[in-house]
Amino acid sequence: MKKVIVLISLGILGFYLIDIFLGIGFGVPHFTNGVKDLYLSNSKDTLKVSNVVTAIVVNFRGFDTLGEVTVLFLASTALGGILYKKRHHVGERSVLFPASQVVMSGAKLLFPSIVLLGAYVFIHGHLSPGGGFQGGTIIATGFLLMLLTYRNYSVSHNRLVYFESLAGILFVSIGLVGYFSKGSFLENVLPVGNMNELFSGGVIGIIYIAVGFKVAAELTGIIYTVLHEKD
Amino acid sequence: MSILEILGGISLVIGSIFLFLGSLGIYRMPDVFNRLQAGTKASTLGAMATILGVGLLAPGWILKIIIIILFIGYSNPISSHALARAMHKRKAFMYFKGEEIDAYKEIEEKDNTEK
Repeated sequence: MKKVIVLISLGILGFYLIDIFLGIGFGVPHFTNGVKDLYLSNSKDTLKVSNVVTAIVVNFRGFDTLGEVTVLFLASTALGGILYKKRHHVGERSVLFPASQVVMSGAKLLFPSIVLLGAYVFIHGHLSPGGGFQGGTIIATGFLLMLLTYRNYSVSHNRLVYFESLAGILFVSIGLVGYFSKGSFLENVLPVGNMNELFSGGVIGIIYIAVGFKVAAELTGIIYTVLHEKD
Repeated sequence: MSILEILGGISLVIGSIFLFLGSLGIYRMPDVFNRLQAGTKASTLGAMATILGVGLLAPGWILKIIIIILFIGYSNPISSHALARAMHKRKAFMYFKGEEIDAYKEIEEKDNTEK
């Protein structure tokens, strides 16, 4: 009975999907309304951002990015919820033997340089490849290194939540400032500056810094939940 | 052709030879420890020499190049040490079983008896 219901609902879904895809037409250029040319010319001329991907992700389609950040937040929260329940059965953190002296003293020097690299990547998101998501992930790998190396290294969960919420509030409030002063959500309100300079692109730099902090806090929280013993 | 360009070219060639030997070693060596030796030592020197060659060809980048070389020389041995130690602890397959000199095991046993 269950299978039949699943099959019927999949059939209905598939029917409407095929209906949509048949309307597009095979081999026909879809972007006839010139949106790609608009993106390419606007990111260069009006926004003065050399990384077009960043300009699209953060400025032209910034609302989607807000949704992505929310998805990541929900995923990390759900993972924490699931794993926290199981934690009571597992007990100890799954470390077979402590890390060696070489790794312990090496990690102390590697950790700041990894965090520095991550911060560089998300601060320069509008100038070079990378951005908030990538930089945040690099920072989280630094925390992963510390958590794997030192058995009693711990991350304050309250502080992670604090940073995450602050970054999310910053993102949304920049969007609201754009809405109230320029009329649309996440509209650029700051001066754009010159191309290929650090202070260019208006709000993109600030939003990517916020995204970087948020992603780093979320991924560190996930890693910590997966690795850490019960508390 | 200036002297810097010649030196940079020589450095690039040395680096690529070592990178090639490293990848050949990963392909040809029989077990994890031999592969680690080929894949980390040779590729560390290869990467360093290649990047140094780039720095000699473009002298404006030399400060960045020095930092990258220091970073490779610092991080690569640590990671390969961690890998080799983990493999040793997991008692990975050794091709030359019975002929090896396991200095790390001896040190560990000595530590355990002292405790």
